[in-house]
Amino acid sequence: MSVRKIGTMAAATACTLALIAGCGTTTSADKGSSGAPQQQPKCGGPNGKYKIGVSQANVAEPYRERMDEDIKKYAKKLLPQVTDVDVQDGQQNNAKQRDDVNNFITKKVDLLIISPNEAAPLTQAVKDAYNKGIPVIVLDRKVNGDQYTSFIGGDNKDIGKQAGQFVASKLLTSGGKVGEIRGLDGSTPAKERSDGFKEGIQGKKIDVVESQSGEWVRDKAQQKAEAMFKAHPDIQVMFAQGDPMAEGAYLAAQSAGLKNVKFVGIDGLPIPSGGIKAVEAGRLAATFVYPTGGKEAIEAAKKFLVDCKPVPKNQTLPTQQVTKENAAQVYTKLNQG
Amino acid sequence: MNAAKGLEEQLPGTRSNGATVIATIFKFQSLFGLVAVFILATILDPETFPRPDNLLDVVRASAENGILAVGMTMVILIGGIDLSVGSVLGMASVGISVLLAQSGFGMWPAIICVLGVGLVFGILQGIANARFKIQAFIVTLAGMQVARGIARIWSGGQGVSITYQSQGGPVSDAFAFIGGKTFGGTVPIPAIVFIVIAVLAALFLRFTTFSRHVYAIGGNEKAARLSGVPVLWTKILVFGICGLLAALAGIVHAGQLNNGDPNDGQTYELDAIAAVVIGGASLTGGRGGVLGTVAGALLVGVLRNILALRGVNSDLQLIIIGLVIVLTAGLQLLRPASMRA
Repeated sequence: MSVRKIGTMAAATACTLALIAGCGTTTSADKGSSGAPQQQPKCGGPNGKYKIGVSQANVAEPYRERMDEDIKKYAKKLLPQVTDVDVQDGQQNNAKQRDDVNNFITKKVDLLIISPNEAAPLTQAVKDAYNKGIPVIVLDRKVNGDQYTSFIGGDNKDIGKQAGQFVASKLLTSGGKVGEIRGLDGSTPAKERSDGFKEGIQGKKIDVVESQSGEWVRDKAQQKAEAMFKAHPDIQVMFAQGDPMAEGAYLAAQSAGLKNVKFVGIDGLPIPSGGIKAVEAGRLAATFVYPTGGKEAIEAAKKFLVDCKPVPKNQTLPTQQVTKENAAQVYTKLNQG
Repeated sequence: MNAAKGLEEQLPGTRSNGATVIATIFKFQSLFGLVAVFILATILDPETFPRPDNLLDVVRASAENGILAVGMTMVILIGGIDLSVGSVLGMASVGISVLLAQSGFGMWPAIICVLGVGLVFGILQGIANARFKIQAFIVTLAGMQVARGIARIWSGGQGVSITYQSQGGPVSDAFAFIGGKTFGGTVPIPAIVFIVIAVLAALFLRFTTFSRHVYAIGGNEKAARLSGVPVLWTKILVFGICGLLAALAGIVHAGQLNNGDPNDGQTYELDAIAAVVIGGASLTGGRGGVLGTVAGALLVGVLRNILALRGVNSDLQLIIIGLVIVLTAGLQLLRPASMRA
């Protein structure tokens, strides 16, 4: 048995790695502010032809699918100079999304629109693109630092707060018990929506009896809600941080025979399977529109590439409360383009 | 049957030329496949694809999968499987980030510690499989859950970001070399780590007694035992090496993303198995090699790259890559009888 040989091999590996480490590496340790001198992104004016790369965190969530559609739709409508909108799916995988961005850099796209899976792991990729002179529009989720052209997104904390205020002022006017189904732990929107909700119900005798993560998806939320209804059959309002999770919780209440629970969601996607239709059908008491930013991203792209004007570094998109009264109207409005 | 056996025992040189050529093609099917895909990619995108920076990026992007696949090759050679490697990668990426960013470890102690965790995790799986005779599939299926759970607990359920001292964070700038480039900022370190591991493993599987034991166990475990091969220890060690390499891939992963995330690495085990299968190894054990696997991993990498460069729809990419895996596995049916496992 050649355990010694294995030992030698292991040592050899370690030495090789040590050598590599030692031999004058140009590391990206200078990732800090000093960085490479950034090139000024070019502006080709109205006669230019542009390729847009879209790096989407995943297409498993209907919200993101809609974002891609909005980008394509408005690119066709507002920016006829765009010859190609190339959408790549990061598959909820930071490494895959980083590779997607690298490929866009290699392909030399004229503009990158990215909705990052997570902030920290994709900061470097966004920075690389930006420093190569590619204007970068970051949608929905942020990256760290300021090495991007423009960030466009909703205000998750404010949306959570409005949801809390709605629960306090419309559903539980004399206080009561609330269950919460959060998004994926570790994601910023989940935290911000939670914090905002707490702020919205503050001082209103409303008790969040339990909070569980439904990881943004319907089936996980359904399982968690089933358990929550068993432990707390007296929950009066279920606040889910996303409409699919609210629908999952609704199904759980149905199967537990709880008819009087009210459901509040967030996202308000104007699609047949989305939250606005669920409000219209009476399954959810309310939802709050979380805009995809697709239209605003293309507007910013137009400003930047065609009009040669600066774009704001941060753009916060307002939400809209959707209840049974205005559901049909909001649905039509958001689909008009 | 006998005739085939006789043929097998002949030296390659004494075979008819045709048979030798066919045998060689099948032995290195993924290498030929890689060359074919490479040529195709160059034709499809002669401007961007063959650029050195793009090719190096392909190797870099294949590095994590390649390192996992090298370990997976060894496990598959003994007739096993390791479904835990993706989770171990996630666990290691979290581990290195926590040790560096929160526990104040130096770079080398942290790396050694995380590699040790991977090694021990693999060894434990090896013991469960070899000593207690639980099927590798089951053991590592459980290991996959356990490692994922450890990753979540270790990280507190959140991604742990690595911020360097030069950015005002706690992590020594030395660790940035893993995600960086060397030789004047041209060659990505992950690509080098991948190549070094591949070369070491290839040499290891060619020149050591241990490797003969690995092939013997995969070919016929009972016969191997009867002829004095230390089956138990060999198996345990193979799982240990696989765990170690998964941890190494996790360190590379964290270094590239400056972040350790407990959810990272999901389904990576399947990509690694795919690379091994494309590389021509038999899932029943005893046949295959590191060279084939490495070519298999690079083949998938080149394919992904050219599909992305051509702007092929993401959904279509999944289908194309799936078809390539089935096709290469199907190729094995065409092998001459003497070469089948």
